[in-house]
Amino acid sequence: MHAPRNSERSRRGRVPGLSGRAAEPLPPPAGKSPPAAPYALTFLLGALAAALACRAEQEPRFEPSVEPRRVVSLAPNLTEIVFALGAGRSLVGVSEYSDYPPEARAIPRVGGLEVSAEKVASLRPDLVLATREGNAPGPVSALSSAGFSVLVLPTGSLDAVLDSVRRTGDALGRREQAERLAESLSARRAAVRALVGKGPRPKAILLVWPDPPQAAGGGTFLDDVLTEAGAENLVRNRPGWPVVSGEYLTAAPVEVLVLPASAANRPAFERALTSGGLSRGAARRARVVWVDESAITRPGPRVFDALEKLARELHPETEHGTGNTEHAR
Amino acid sequence: MRAPRRTAALAGAFVLLLLAGLVGLLVGGVHLSLPDLVAGGGPASESARLVVSLRAPRVGLAALVGACLALAGAALQALLKNPLADPFLLGTSGGAAVGAALAAVAGFSPFVSPAAAFAGAVASSLTVAALARRGGRLDLQRLLLAGLIANAFFSAVLLGVFSVASGQTARTMLFWMMGSLADATPARVLALAPYAAAGFGVLAAFAARLNLFAVGEENAAALGVDVETSKRVVFVAASLLTGAAVAFAGIIGFVGLLVPHAARAVVGNDQRTLLPVSAIAGAALLAAADAASRSVFAPAELPVGAVTAAIGAPVFAWLLLRSS
Amino acid sequence: MSAVLEARGLCASYGATRALDGLDAEIRRGELAALLGENGSGKSTFLKVLARIVAPKAGEVLLDGRPLAAVGRRESARRIAYLPQSLDLVFPIRCLDLVLQGRAPHARGFSADSAEDLERAFAAMRACDVEELADRDAAALSGGERRRVFLARALAQDAEIWLLDEPASGLDLRHRLEFLGLLDRTHAERGTTVLLVTHEIDLAAELADRVILLRRGRVLASGRPDETLTPDRLRATFGVESRIEVDAQGRRRVVPYAPAG
Repeated sequence: MHAPRNSERSRRGRVPGLSGRAAEPLPPPAGKSPPAAPYALTFLLGALAAALACRAEQEPRFEPSVEPRRVVSLAPNLTEIVFALGAGRSLVGVSEYSDYPPEARAIPRVGGLEVSAEKVASLRPDLVLATREGNAPGPVSALSSAGFSVLVLPTGSLDAVLDSVRRTGDALGRREQAERLAESLSARRAAVRALVGKGPRPKAILLVWPDPPQAAGGGTFLDDVLTEAGAENLVRNRPGWPVVSGEYLTAAPVEVLVLPASAANRPAFERALTSGGLSRGAARRARVVWVDESAITRPGPRVFDALEKLARELHPETEHGTGNTEHAR
Repeated sequence: MRAPRRTAALAGAFVLLLLAGLVGLLVGGVHLSLPDLVAGGGPASESARLVVSLRAPRVGLAALVGACLALAGAALQALLKNPLADPFLLGTSGGAAVGAALAAVAGFSPFVSPAAAFAGAVASSLTVAALARRGGRLDLQRLLLAGLIANAFFSAVLLGVFSVASGQTARTMLFWMMGSLADATPARVLALAPYAAAGFGVLAAFAARLNLFAVGEENAAALGVDVETSKRVVFVAASLLTGAAVAFAGIIGFVGLLVPHAARAVVGNDQRTLLPVSAIAGAALLAAADAASRSVFAPAELPVGAVTAAIGAPVFAWLLLRSS
Repeated sequence: MSAVLEARGLCASYGATRALDGLDAEIRRGELAALLGENGSGKSTFLKVLARIVAPKAGEVLLDGRPLAAVGRRESARRIAYLPQSLDLVFPIRCLDLVLQGRAPHARGFSADSAEDLERAFAAMRACDVEELADRDAAALSGGERRRVFLARALAQDAEIWLLDEPASGLDLRHRLEFLGLLDRTHAERGTTVLLVTHEIDLAAELADRVILLRRGRVLASGRPDETLTPDRLRATFGVESRIEVDAQGRRRVVPYAPAG
């Protein structure tokens, strides 16, 4: 092969890029590994700063002062308690879902699951009522840090409801009414316990949502209600709100399905019962007890009504049922 | 191209911040006007003052968080010589989310969240840095990949945690993952401030070196920079800023990516100007976004991350289209 | 001429591949030396070791008799300037700022660019004929212009040793001639020591006082171009057959014409 002549070659110029790829930087020899001290230090400092921030915000402490005249309730059950104590007129703001009693519907809204702290602030409340389990902690602590009187109430069990009633009564300056109400509710619970007695406890599951099937597990408020009503909660060993699998529902020895229904979710439950996850196996054979969702899921005075009804439905042998059950489908 | 004087650029950014701050104080679920604020007594005025007392720490937190994220983003873009670098690429967001989620599910008081989130952020940064180490050096290409992997892993863990969380916990987590300034308190602002200050100080000292990195890592080495030390310092500072921001405000995207981009278009890429301008512009942007999040569906509040995503995603798409 | 840079037994690896395998060489003060070799012979790596971008696995480099590793980074950057082969810029940057980066090893602390830095930068840009590009975005320049700006940066750096990796790559003919001419002139005017890496034999033969032939990470031979660039040597270095030609101006040219073997 003849090489091209020298002069032609220099005239052709070079093809750019042929001089080689940009070489990759080489790693130097393994030297000492990078010092860990800066990382450790920053981590410690970070943890310290965050811990300090947390310290500065304990759960809001409440000091009762004069009888409050402008009350904001951040949860529907607390609204009901305030009304039950006869202080409904002092409410200047309520949470979105406060629809009972009917007078509550006219009160200005301050937000739903996440309340608007500034809306609350603009109402100039001298008392803010919040729940520990139901309200997002952020706005609550923001209000507390800004100097508002915030009372955080427990709602995890029936005892907690009674406690909330008493503490709200204290805060509202209606201690006597609160004590009376708490006593009467407590007495009704005692009556239910007597009714249920040592009788059989049907195995039950309370589903808060049909699809995917989500049940009330151990340690929840609804678990407490179910147990007091004389049933054995099959998913008690699972804390919180476990999603139970379809297989479980077909195979577990469930005798009763307790379904808290509202206008909004009843169609979804019906679908699940006829053709969905609740239409097979053990779930199909189980007895369905419908309960009023807004009464039973709100840790307030009405839950004791719901408790009584549920106890009667679960134990028809002690009294005549009210025809609210279904045997076959 | 003319580079505007540094002082003019900083002054302009500050004005933006002041405006945004004012908007943040006046605008929201409850609209206020200046007369309301300054007037004497009366319930309207008192109510206005109460609302402002609630908003002030919130605007302060938004500004600090926005500054931290924008600054971290600008520094990383220079260090990695990549205009698409984002503070969350380092895996800090995923780690922080998992930290906070685990704390919430384990039943700790929600006030523990910031510490847990910060711990998660630091842990994931360290893991990512370890993955990217190659023969004693911090390999910047592997850093990007390692960050992606870390985020993917943490997302999976997070979904698992979500599936066992109770309703309220899950909802709070969701809000946090989209960025939430709802629990802004003066204590949190004060806790974040030292981080922001430390981050700013360190990065300001490295600004000239970052200019060299922006041309190339080899370029910086050839001009006398100790590249390994610089990489580590900038990485740690950026991780700190990001971790602290996420710990107190949740995951807020797009700020770290787009604010430096926009600032660069206006003031050029000299880090000595770009870093402070990005920080101030980021503060302004987030304060404004927070005001928007409080007013669009009042009295409900959007998570601020949703607002930044809603603005940021189209802007980002437009940038991509424009550059092709 | 004394040796200003000396390499002794340098070894460096890229993963499992050895790029430098016991390289011994010396660069004399004030000379323009050309490092010739194929792709993969280690020439770029050698330059990076000298520029302190890469640390060697074994062996050492001496700067004026002192081990380079013991010299402060900024000090060596004040004396050694490096022009990489690929100059890709991702971000916009003013040419003036790019040239000012050359002053970085001289800078003190946070200082803004001092008046002296600016003066030197402008002088360097004038010398490289890029002064009118001062306010333009370096990322938007042509390859030739950008290379000249980088050369201006090396000038501003006031370094006495220049390391250039494939200085003429990617340039079209006119710019190549301009750039190489500029390089040659500046070297002559300032007495800078220049080490350039190339795989172009012509370039080396034309410009260099001394050529160093590299193969597989080791020096094969070094010396004056007319003595060192022989057909035997070229066969050993590049694996090509070549012959000597004398052109119309009486200059000796080595012309490869076929692969060897």
